Order: sequence, then structure tokens, then C-alpha cells
Amino acid sequence: MKTLMKSVVGVLASYAVAVGMAGAQVFPSRTVELMVAFPPGGSTDVGARIVAAIAEKHLGQPMIVVNKGGAGGQVGWTDLARRKPDGYFIGYLNLPATNTVILDPERKAIFDADAFVPIINQVLDPGVVWVRADSPYKSLKDLVDAARKAPNTIRTATTGILSDDHLAILMLEEAAPGAVFRIVHLDGNATQVKEIMGGNIDVAFDNVGGIAPRVRSGEVRALVVLDTERSKFMPAVPTSKELGHPTVISNSTRGIAGPKGMPAPVVAKLADVLKKAMEDPDHIAKLEASGLGVKIMVGAEYERYYRETHEKAKKYVEWAKTRPQR
Amino acid sequence: MNSQPASHRLVESVVLACLCAVFAAATWIANGYALKDALGPGPGFFPFWLGLIGAVLSLVLLAQSWRGSAIGKVVEGLWPDRAGALRAAALLGGLALFALLLEPAGFRLTALVVTAALLVALGVRRPVAIAAFALVSSFGLFHVFYHWLKVPLPVGPFGL
Amino acid sequence: MDSVTHLLSGFAAALSPAYLAYAFAGCVFGTLIGVLPGLGPSAGTAILIPLTFKLDPTGAIIMLAAIYYGAMYGGTITSVLINVPGEAASVITCLDGHQMAKQGRGGTALGIAAIGSFIGGLVASIALALIAAPLARLALKFGPPEFFALMLLGLCLVSGLAGRSLAAALLMTVLGLLISMIGIDPVRGAPRFAFGIADLYDGLGIVPVVMGLFGIAEILITAEQPVREIIRARLSNLLPSRDEWRRSWGAIWRGTGIGFGLGLIPGIGAIVPTFMAYILEKRLSKTPERFGQGAIEGVAAPETANNAYANAAMVPFLTLGIPSSPTIAVLMGAFIVNGLTPGPFLFQERPDLVWTVIASFFVGNVILLVLNLPLVGLWAKILHVPFRYLAVGVLVFCVLGAYSLQQSAFDVWVMIGFGVIGYGFRKLDLPLAPLVLGLILGPALERSLRTSLEMSAGEYSIFFTRPLCLGLLIASAAVLVVAALKLAPKQLRQA
Repeated sequence: MKTLMKSVVGVLASYAVAVGMAGAQVFPSRTVELMVAFPPGGSTDVGARIVAAIAEKHLGQPMIVVNKGGAGGQVGWTDLARRKPDGYFIGYLNLPATNTVILDPERKAIFDADAFVPIINQVLDPGVVWVRADSPYKSLKDLVDAARKAPNTIRTATTGILSDDHLAILMLEEAAPGAVFRIVHLDGNATQVKEIMGGNIDVAFDNVGGIAPRVRSGEVRALVVLDTERSKFMPAVPTSKELGHPTVISNSTRGIAGPKGMPAPVVAKLADVLKKAMEDPDHIAKLEASGLGVKIMVGAEYERYYRETHEKAKKYVEWAKTRPQR
Repeated sequence: MNSQPASHRLVESVVLACLCAVFAAATWIANGYALKDALGPGPGFFPFWLGLIGAVLSLVLLAQSWRGSAIGKVVEGLWPDRAGALRAAALLGGLALFALLLEPAGFRLTALVVTAALLVALGVRRPVAIAAFALVSSFGLFHVFYHWLKVPLPVGPFGL
Repeated sequence: MDSVTHLLSGFAAALSPAYLAYAFAGCVFGTLIGVLPGLGPSAGTAILIPLTFKLDPTGAIIMLAAIYYGAMYGGTITSVLINVPGEAASVITCLDGHQMAKQGRGGTALGIAAIGSFIGGLVASIALALIAAPLARLALKFGPPEFFALMLLGLCLVSGLAGRSLAAALLMTVLGLLISMIGIDPVRGAPRFAFGIADLYDGLGIVPVVMGLFGIAEILITAEQPVREIIRARLSNLLPSRDEWRRSWGAIWRGTGIGFGLGLIPGIGAIVPTFMAYILEKRLSKTPERFGQGAIEGVAAPETANNAYANAAMVPFLTLGIPSSPTIAVLMGAFIVNGLTPGPFLFQERPDLVWTVIASFFVGNVILLVLNLPLVGLWAKILHVPFRYLAVGVLVFCVLGAYSLQQSAFDVWVMIGFGVIGYGFRKLDLPLAPLVLGLILGPALERSLRTSLEMSAGEYSIFFTRPLCLGLLIASAAVLVVAALKLAPKQLRQA
């Protein structure tokens, strides 16, 4: 009887040790899910699938893309904020969209700026202002002068309420006092193209990636890139800094983050794996073919960028909520 | 006139009354959102009026029902017999169980248990058929969707 | 004439063994994806994008396009056989298609759907090849105010879906419109009716809702009834009778017209042409009471319209680079990742590629017909599976389908909830189609109204100063007046 008891205890003890050791297994020991807060096929999604396919090899475990679209990304980010911070579920943040969701009180976001741990940034897509090729506005100056002469008549499209385009319009109005644009919120880049081509909209604020091919082919004219340096996808277009509006800097970034509380070694491992994937020439080539510039920011650099974007967005969100035609 | 038995009228009345309540609640909630905006109808405008119209329509239909004329054709046997009701309830229960256990227990385990249970509840008595069907519906489908189509499905404890 | 030369060389390329194989594979994948409820062409296409990295651009695009219209037919199969619409566009097919299946004529329904789809798709492809560019530019005139007016017209046509009681149809429409307002509103960008539940912020997904209202409700209703004889369809029953042919013929051509016309306008959504084609057939029919009970025109019209729409939607995409729907947006993503930008300049720079793709649409339509028509008998056999196994199998598929949309158990609950609601409504003979119509049109109406007002800075005159918009508004008013006149004596008689 005693020996039986001893062996039972022995078996139980070694089982406990085994389970305990299993718990302390090396990360990752199973599939990692990479969430995109938009429906499949969009540019964030395509970029995610490209990077996941390469990162898998460095990770040693499968990495699958999970789409959780809806409410301009809010559904997906809400889910991300609630997940276990064990590194098996990470997702894309689209700044400043994520920031504006947090900052707009009416959106009632359940997460705040501290809810995420930024891991690594993939893409930085600068803002651009464009018109139809036969438009009377040949330069940014033409546009601003016209907006001053006839305030609130130029129909200006964004890709969504409180998108980076929306904030960019407000930034321009701030930098060029007297200029007032009639803001029309469309849903996405394709709708902007359709309405501009159809003559229903006069000028669109968007990002380089969405419109670079058409600028290249001459179908549309880009007036200005809202960045400090020229875009390699449209090198002939001047920047807002060159044109005398150095404060009008706007862009949209896509980076990967996890829920807060992720252990530092897990974050470091993911950052390392993703960085290798993003530096892969195949990855860069595919993204650049889509007009997206890869800008890798890791660790403290990305964290700092995240906070800065949040602060900057705060001012414009408040203004947007009080403006009569938002 | 489209006359109907009392039981049918009761069910109709209950459903219409519920709908009326839902519409009224929607109107009330919509009133809390802005009805007007600088440019036109606000977020509350359409829900407010739709709720109101819906409530009125359901009351109109309710009145029609009380006066004895049913909404649509009166189907023979609105109420199912006991066996039928049990079958439908079993399927519904199985569905609810599936939805409940799907994420905590993982797809394969949940599908296995629920399909087997439902087949038994519906009267299948051949263990081999049940086992085969349940296995294909759980592990089989999982393999197709997860590994071939790369559609993420929940994986529960024990890696199942 | 230049187009014809291009088209011919396009054919030569499209009929090469490799591209033929891609088109075939695409049709097969597409049909399978369409059969799996919930997965839908857009998710399926997105999933297969990485696969296409390994192929050359033309081949990849041929395959993805084939998947796209293959999936449309796959959705028909489940709608007819088990009353589960794979995506919103297949809802109308359920109305008469499934009734036909219950009467043992499921094979005929699938057959006429395949033939109608083929004709619709072929005609649309021909039109695409010949008159694409000028038509596309014309379609651009459709701005937000025109959109609003068109959706309004669609709403006014709901009386065409009413069965016995117009009031009941209106009630269901209003309910659908109201439910569609759950979620972020187009005015402030803030959530409505969400009660703090994050899953509701985007509203209720249309796919889980229709899968519940039609598919789950059907299973529950069938389960209650005592086991009945499955009407065994003999092979000869798979072909439509001469009378049915005659009736479908007109429906097919009218469906083609509606589908093609609406497909040229970006952003309409596949469900609108199917509704309109169905309602038109019902209106023109001398025996409208047959609709909803298994009228073959009720299947021929929407199915043809569906496929004509899908092929026509390629027009704004190829000629102007504007994607009409989420699935085509995915296709566009595939173009872009391969370094190609659809649009007028692609026609000039790479005519070989564009015309090969256009030629492959013809080929794809033929392949679909050849693939599906013989299989119709096989698919129809599914109905012979004993109900006990069929029901459980369908339930698992539906749960899988609903979950796989967004990896969310919430969608499964929505499907179950609407299954119960659909069950209740069907017992009381409250019509479901107007509910779905309201659900689809609600967001489109509100958003286009809002965008129009933003364009005009609040001036309502924008709706009356644009001729196309004004025309559509007058048409809506006319439809309402006619409906009121028709109904007034009937209501008085009922009192």
C-alpha cells in the first residue's frame, strides 16, 4: 500500500513538473494571429498577408491574418485591447485613425492610448492633395486662393469622418487663414476617384499609396505631398514644407501592436521576427509595387511616434467636432 | 375575411405587441440622439420617424387581427405536435450550445459533441454512422477550413 | 473594329491550355466557395491572393475573376436546395427556388439558373467588349444624389414584394430599415443603438441575419413537421417543361437588361438588381400569385440579373479602375500588387493583358455552364439525404459560415437569434423579403442623403436640379401613386 501511494505521488509530482515546464515553454509554441481591423482586400490587409507569409519562416510557427472589420476599425481594436497579452494575438494599428477613435468622445471607445503596446511600424503613407487632370487648380496656391475667395464652396473629399485626410484639411485651413473647404466625407479611396471623375467632387485629400499609380499615368494631378521630403512614388510633386506650410504634415501609418501587459521578451521576439520580414527585399518590392513606402520603426522610436501622433490629433479632433460642416 | 382560430390570433397579437414595443423603444432612444444637424437630418431623425411609423403600423395590424382577420394565410397546424416541437427545440438547443462552447472549447471538440448529440436527439441509432458523421463534421471540416483555406477557427484547450 | 481584332487575339491567348486551366480552376474554387455559406466571394478571393503570387499576372487575374463569378453560382445552389443564401445577393433566389426544390423541381431550378446566368453573363461580356468605355463614363454621372433617388425607387418598389397584406410588408420594411441603423451613423460617426456592446458598433452583419432568417428558420420549420415523402425527381424532370421555358425566356432577357444596366454603376451592390428583376417579373406577370410558391421566372430573373451584374461590374473596373464591390476591390488589390493599375491607361499600355482577361470572361461563362449543368442532377441529390443528417450538416455549415466571416461568435448568435425571429415571422406569414430590402437599403439611403447634403452644404435643391436624380424621384412618386390606386379599392373591400 505504501509503495503504491509513493508511486502515485511520484507520478503526480512528475506530471505537475511537466505541466509547469510546458507552461514555461519558449514563445511561440503555436500559431500567432495577426489581426487587421478592416475587411479583406484593403491595403492594410494585403500588406499584412505579405508580411505574415515571410514572418512565418522566421517565427517557426504559422502566422495567420484575421480580419475583424467594422466601425472604421473600432471593432477590431476593441477586440485587440481585450485579448490576453501572451503574444499569440497581435494586430494592426492604423494611426491616426486609432487615435481619433480614442479621442472622439462620441465613439465611446473602451480602450485608451495606454491599452496597446506598440511593437513595430510597417508602412508610412504621406498625405496628398489631388485633383482631376483637367482641373482649374494647377497648384496648391491656386486651391488655397480659391478657397479664400469663395469660402465653403470647394467640395473637398476625405476617406472618412476623422480620418487623417479630415485632419489634414483642418491643418491646411489653420495654416492658411481664410481658406474654408466644403468637406464631404466619402468612404474610401475608390469612391473618391469615382466622384472626382464624375465631377461631383472638386478636390480630394488622400494618401500617396492610394493614388500614386494614377498620378504616374497622368489621369490625375497631385498638388502637394504633406510631408517634409518628396515621395519616391511621385517625385515631381512638391511637399507642403517646400510650399511654405511646414506645419501641414499628415500621414497614415500601419504598425503592429499587442494588448498592454505583454512581457518584454515576447515583444522583443515579435519585433525581431517582424523586422526581419519587413526588411526582406521581396516584402519591400511587393509593398512598393502598391505605392506604399516601408518605414520600419521599432521599440522606443515607434512608441514615441505613437504618443506624438496622439497629441497632435487631439487638437484637430476637438476642432472638427465644433466646426458646423464637419 | 380571413378568419382564424383563437390560438393563432393570440400568437399574432403577442408578436405584434412586441414589435410595437420595440418600435416605441427605438423612437424613445432615437429622441436622445440629435434630430437635426447643421446640414440636415441628424442621427436620430430617421430612427425616430421609422420607430413611430412602425409602432403605428403594428397597432393597425393588431386591430385587424382582433377584428378577426389574420395577416397572411392561416397555415394548418400553427402549433406543431409534441414530437415536432421537441425536434425543433433540440436543434435550437444544439445551435445555442454550439455558439456557447465554440470559442472556449474550440471548434473540433464542440462540433464533435454537438453533432453527435443532435443526431441522437433526432432519432439516429446507428453508432457507426453517428461517429463517422460527427468526426467528418468536426475534424474533417476543421482540416479543410483551417489548413487548406487558411480560415482561422477557434482552437480550445488540449490544442483541440 | 480595333476592338474586335484585340478581342480575337485575346481569345487566342485565353484559350491557351494554361489560361484555360486557370479559368477552370477558378470556376471550381469559386463554386465551392459559394456553396460554403458565409465565406463569400470577397473573403474567398482574399484568401486566394497569396496563391496568385506564384502565377503570372494575367493568369492570376483570370483565376480570381473566375472565382468571383463562380462564387455567385455556388450561392445559388445552397439557396435553392437548403434555403441558405450564401450571401445577400442570393436571398431572392430562395423565395421561389427553394419552393421549387420542395416540390421536387430543385434540379430544374438549378438548371434554369445556370442557363440564365450563362446568357446574362455572355451578353454582358459582349457588351463589355464592344461598348465599355463610353458607357462607363456615362455611368459616372451617377453621383450621391442619383444614388439616393435610385435607392428610394427601390424602396418604393417594395409593394411589389407584398403578398396578401401591404401593411405587413410595410411593417417588415420599416423593421429592416430600423435594424440597419444599428451601428456607426454616417452623420457624426458615432454609434447608434449599440448600448456599449462593441460587437454592435458595426451593426448586424447582413450575412448572419439572412442565414438565420432563411436557412435556420427553414430547418426549424421543417423539423417540426412529421417526416414526409421526399419527392423523388426523375431525370427528365430536371429539364424545364416547354411552358416553363416560355415563361423564363422573357424573364431572362429582362433580367439581363436590369443586371447589366445596374452593373455599370459602381457601388450598387449585387442584391439590388436581383430584387428589381424579381419585382419586375412579378409586375409583368398575368399570374403574380404564383411568385413565392415556386414560379420558375422567380428564379430565372434574379439569377440572370445577378450574373449580368457581375460581368457588367467589370466595366467600371477595367475602363476606369473603379471597383464596384468589395470583391472587385480585392481583385483590384491583386492587380496592384502585380504592378498593374486598372484604368484607361492599362487599356493602352497593356492591351494584350486586358483583352485576354475580357476574353476569359466569355470562356469562364462557358466553363461555368459546362461545369454546372451536368452537376445539377448531382447537387439535387443532396435533397435525398435523410433530414436527420441533412439538418445537422446544414447547421454545422451555417455555424462555420457565420463564424468565419469575422472570427466572431457574436455573428453566430445573431444568426441564431434571427433564425428564431424568422421562424416566428414565417409562422405568421409575415413576409421576409421586405425586411431584407429594408436592411440593405437603409444604410445606402442614409449615407447617400448625407453625402449629397455635404456636397450641397445643406441645400435640398441638389436633388431637383440634377436631371437624372429628378427623373428617378419622379419615377418613385409614380410607383407610389400606382400602388396606392391599386390598393385603395382592395382595402375598402376588406373592411
